[in-house]
Amino acid sequence: MFNKLIENSTAKSPWLYHMNTGSCNGCDIEIVAALTPHFDAERFGCKLAGTPRHADIILITGPVTEQSKDRLIRTLEQVPEPYVVMAVGSCPNSCNVFKDSYSVAGPLEKYCHVDVSVSGCACKPEAIMLGVVKATEILKEKRRAMKK
Amino acid sequence: MEILIALVRILIYPGLLFVAVGGLLLAGIDRILVAKMQRRVGPPLVQPFYDFFKLMGKETIIPHHANRTAYLAAPVIAVVSLAVTMLFIPLGGFSAVSGTADLIVVLYLLTIPAVCVIVGGSASGSPYAGVGISREMVAMMSYELPLVMVLLAVAKKVGSLSLQAIVAYQFQNGCMLFHWSMIPAAIALLLVIPGEAGVQPFDLAEAETEICEGTLAEYSGAPLGMFELNHAMKIFVLTALFTALFLGGIDTGIVPLNVVITFVICGVLVWLCCSLPHAICARLRIERLFKFYWTIVAGLAALSLVLAWFGL
Repeated sequence: MFNKLIENSTAKSPWLYHMNTGSCNGCDIEIVAALTPHFDAERFGCKLAGTPRHADIILITGPVTEQSKDRLIRTLEQVPEPYVVMAVGSCPNSCNVFKDSYSVAGPLEKYCHVDVSVSGCACKPEAIMLGVVKATEILKEKRRAMKK
Repeated sequence: MEILIALVRILIYPGLLFVAVGGLLLAGIDRILVAKMQRRVGPPLVQPFYDFFKLMGKETIIPHHANRTAYLAAPVIAVVSLAVTMLFIPLGGFSAVSGTADLIVVLYLLTIPAVCVIVGGSASGSPYAGVGISREMVAMMSYELPLVMVLLAVAKKVGSLSLQAIVAYQFQNGCMLFHWSMIPAAIALLLVIPGEAGVQPFDLAEAETEICEGTLAEYSGAPLGMFELNHAMKIFVLTALFTALFLGGIDTGIVPLNVVITFVICGVLVWLCCSLPHAICARLRIERLFKFYWTIVAGLAALSLVLAWFGL
């Protein structure tokens, strides 16, 4: 019963950690917009965490640049299990207009497993919210798998 | 049988379980009220319970540089000390433990959670926690002085350091809040509660936007959950203390009903001294916080102390 309680709670309290890996700031603004009173991500229990140690969902914006590559890997290593990686915007998926640039080491799939991917340049706050809700389901499954 | 009753008191009714559930409910009420004041829908009432149970199920990472024992023991000691504090505070005219100088014990027990945050933060070995610790120490120094003066003012007025005697005095002479000489002390205690509980304008030690959650930067999983619980319990214990000190004279004759009324008053106090400042104030700088507590709040408390000294 206690296990079930933890599983359900995991789906209902996703704490977000936002990481910028060379984004143009467009998607970052949209993430902040999703947290503002108009869209109110706190309805789903979302909270912006200040450190990766507290995070459940890692939001990654931007094509992974050479400079941010090592930091990305180190940050992801510090997140406690279970956690979900969510790519926000077109950049982490395909590097978008920054593709083949000398300074871009992306896309994100090279460095970690991407669980949820929200496309758009910049993506809509509604789409981010939908992505977060999808991510909570994956989070719940991961918790179940972790127990076994 | 006596041991059984003592165990029930420590673990269930005025002790651990009651404070934990009550505190998490009050934290949920606080989050809903802040959301309403910002015209949001807000999280469900039981959101702090979800957070707590989720953190219990997360992996606990112990950093390489951390002192393992202190790192893991600090949150547990903080929670236990708050549960013990609640045994001394009369809820609805009934306290599990009562002695001749409860107020001094309560004062010391209320210091332990803040000390545990400092010990846990320093044991984690993170530079962010280092900044958080220094801020927490200054914050502790700032609100301890007015808190001591408020408690002394009430004790002088009643002529006893026992919480049971303070409540008994209020049963006979009316609530302490309606004695005009005690009103400044009540306001001072209302201003001490957010500082002690570390909510928005005074949450410098855990400022997530500046120093990455400060003292809690390295904590994850169950110990972090204990610290969240500790924060929620602190709100409940402090509001219950305010109720006992200043609104102790409410009596319907039925103990459970008294407890419910006390809890409702605690909810109103949470609105007044946690949600309202959270919704309308920005975070203070540390020297401003220090100045605020040692001038305005300490001044109000001192005023009451002087008035009580002259027997008003």
